[in-house]
Amino acid sequence: MSHALDATAGEIEAATVRDNRDNYLTDEWTVWSWLATTDHKRIALLYFASITFFFFLGGAAAALMRFNLLTPTGAIVSPETYNRLFTLHGVVMVWFFLVPAVPVTIGNFVTPLMIGARDLAFPKVNLLSWYLFITGGAITLWALFMGGLDTGWTLYTPLSSAYAKGYVVPVAVGIFISGFSSIATGLNFIVTIHRLRAPGMTWYRMPVFLWSLYSTSVIYVLATPVLAMTLLLLAFETVFRVGVFDPALGGDPILFQHLFWFYSHPAVYIMILPGLGVVSEIIPVFARKRLFGYKFVVWCSVMIAVISFFVWGHHMFVAGTSIYSAIVFSLLSFMVAVPSAIKVFNWIGTLHKGFIHFDAPMIYALGFVGLFTMGGLTGLFLATLAADVPLHDTYFVVAHFHYIMVGGMVSAFFGGLHYWWPKITGRMYPEMWGRVAAAMIFFGFNLTFFPQFILGYLGMPRRYHSYPPEFQVLNVLSSAGSTILAVAYLMPLFYFAWSLLAGARAPANPWGATGLEWQTPSPPPVQNFTSTPVVTEDPYSYPSPEAIQMEQAETGEARPNG
Amino acid sequence: MADIHSTFQYSTPAHRSGSSLDGMWLFLATEVLFFGALFLAWTVSRHYHAAGFAEAARHTEISLGTINTVLLVTSSLAYAAGLAFIEQGDTRRLLQCLSLTGLLGIAFVCLKLLEWHDDFYEHLFPGSGFALHGPDPGGAQIFFSFYFVGTGLHILHMLAGLGLLAWVILRAWRGAFSSRSHLAVEAVGLYWSFVDVVWLVLYPLIYVVGRPG
Amino acid sequence: MMQTLRPLLLVWLALLALLGVELGGAFLRLGHLFGGLLLLPAGAMVALVGLFFMRLRHASGLSRGFALAAMFWLVVLLGLGSMDPMTRTLHPVAMTTYP
Repeated sequence: MSHALDATAGEIEAATVRDNRDNYLTDEWTVWSWLATTDHKRIALLYFASITFFFFLGGAAAALMRFNLLTPTGAIVSPETYNRLFTLHGVVMVWFFLVPAVPVTIGNFVTPLMIGARDLAFPKVNLLSWYLFITGGAITLWALFMGGLDTGWTLYTPLSSAYAKGYVVPVAVGIFISGFSSIATGLNFIVTIHRLRAPGMTWYRMPVFLWSLYSTSVIYVLATPVLAMTLLLLAFETVFRVGVFDPALGGDPILFQHLFWFYSHPAVYIMILPGLGVVSEIIPVFARKRLFGYKFVVWCSVMIAVISFFVWGHHMFVAGTSIYSAIVFSLLSFMVAVPSAIKVFNWIGTLHKGFIHFDAPMIYALGFVGLFTMGGLTGLFLATLAADVPLHDTYFVVAHFHYIMVGGMVSAFFGGLHYWWPKITGRMYPEMWGRVAAAMIFFGFNLTFFPQFILGYLGMPRRYHSYPPEFQVLNVLSSAGSTILAVAYLMPLFYFAWSLLAGARAPANPWGATGLEWQTPSPPPVQNFTSTPVVTEDPYSYPSPEAIQMEQAETGEARPNG
Repeated sequence: MADIHSTFQYSTPAHRSGSSLDGMWLFLATEVLFFGALFLAWTVSRHYHAAGFAEAARHTEISLGTINTVLLVTSSLAYAAGLAFIEQGDTRRLLQCLSLTGLLGIAFVCLKLLEWHDDFYEHLFPGSGFALHGPDPGGAQIFFSFYFVGTGLHILHMLAGLGLLAWVILRAWRGAFSSRSHLAVEAVGLYWSFVDVVWLVLYPLIYVVGRPG
Repeated sequence: MMQTLRPLLLVWLALLALLGVELGGAFLRLGHLFGGLLLLPAGAMVALVGLFFMRLRHASGLSRGFALAAMFWLVVLLGLGSMDPMTRTLHPVAMTTYP
């Protein structure tokens, strides 16, 4: 960690680090002090533990699916089991990992630190949200393991209400409860960001990550209730056998899809907006440069959140919806690509002529930019009415959204985790292992999912347990990639655990980053700041490249990683 | 520890109460979208099943529904008056107003249960044995699905509101509120009136709009 | 004190009057299409309760923003959500039996 600029500052901090025994981790030691905590930092760690569990559970289901697809007839499981596996994978990964992932963990931890507050606006609501989350998770898991569910995560009617073998209602109840956890989190973030900013922290001085979280929270609070009502109607229909959605009883099955995607399409942006924010934090730090076009980046986050509510109809182009509505939704779907693309240009503009340091968070962030671009561009194919007809429900769609959600969001999650790990735990992770894992994730991911684009283009439908033999080569490539991906995802588990025990003590600001969260010790004290900070400058106020060059010319130091 | 944590992020009591009221409004915004999904399903289904909806709406008890609307609107008035009294520091009048609110709310729930009883008696609960066999019995069943889901959720909100009201009354009884400090009265009042608002939308959807069709 | 209570009472009377309009409308034969007009008095009642009983007039700008956002997104949900069903080409099949 020898960033030229901060060598001296780092040494001074290192001296004070040893005295930092009085922090949020060491404040109290009992189990109860964790289970009843209202400290946003501790709640973030509770969430970290929970979603890590769900991530590896959903990942295990995916691994079994890829294993099964090694042979055209299905290698290990029966078709029924395969249906249950992809349902488990989808439900767990969407609602119990991706939707909460970054906001409840990193967001929970750093939001008050970033705005200079002592906690979120409603700490008890924050704790309540965790309990709702694990309650919903427990019910869903119980249902998924006791009876299983074979509808896919989308729970389409009348498959789910009339034909599904499995526990539709308990799964719906579990998702319903965890939805309130999302609402509680979103509500907390919005009020906190409006009300608890430190003196001088104007909207345009806020880090981009907070704008992303704010946009995400808007979707949390305004889309999730619609899902709640949809699940209630589904449960009512399933239990009492009445026909709001069942066409045999006079209902409209596409109405379910409208209501479902009114939530779930914006939820797709829940699953990427925080990632966009994390990457916007990481890139300026490791390029040692001001974020290019700050106002564009932040307003694009807001635009993505707003437009995300207008595009859901593109999931139903082949479901028999009206052609007029399909045209409108197709046009609106193209619109959401505009702010997304602007962001990519801003990141590239930030990297341009920057002093790029290839630390692990930066490798994740750079991987994110590439994979997000790839996922976003293939989305345009699917927003096109004519192209969607052959591509709908093929592996092209699977590859498209995995590029956004796994290649994008999971990379951003890991990048953010590495970036803020020293702040959260007060320890440094082993840098070389971090870089290796990041590179392996990028490589393994592409090997897993790029063949799926080709498979989808050739016409292999998703959610099938078996396939024609001519697809085998591409499927084997994909499965091979998934083993690399699995190993790469497991690696951080081990080296992070190691760093907790034996990692070097982290200084307050190991990366030489701007931002209030780096001005307080690592790990932060219970009250976050010893005195309320006052903000006097814009975010990312790194010295200009010219100034860095001059300083290096004077001191004669070379850049370590450039 | 816990008590410190729940307030120490605010600079002043006004800062805290302002933030809490904003939070309450945002929560109510989520409730709007929650019921909004039901209204969308109602709109779409009525479009497909005009005849069934009209027939079913004519089988609802508009007299009970109208009385209930009057009760609920009046209960909101009583609550708003109570809030105005505590702003003058008058806890006694606050208690009177809130008690009236609670009684009207309980009366609403009782009438609603009576109405449900009648509906069950007439076999209007959807499913096998459904009583209406007009031109579009499927549509009539869907109407009554909305009726029971909508009124059922509304009753749940009423019960939650009554619980919150009891809590506010208890605290007022103990003298917890003054002209300066009455955040709980105001926040619960928002919720109570919102439940009223939901009913004001459900009332025409159930009893009024379909009837002339 | 009467000065603060008087507007509340007037609002209450207005609410009862609007309820009367709805009740009367229920017995006019307005037809399927115009029956929807009976939602207008309900909208006015919601506005009255929001502005006066819930004090939206004097609420913080943020609270009013939340209320407006809720209305905006409700319009999006109802508008975009009913666009497809209202313009869809239906190919009816024979409805057989209801359970």
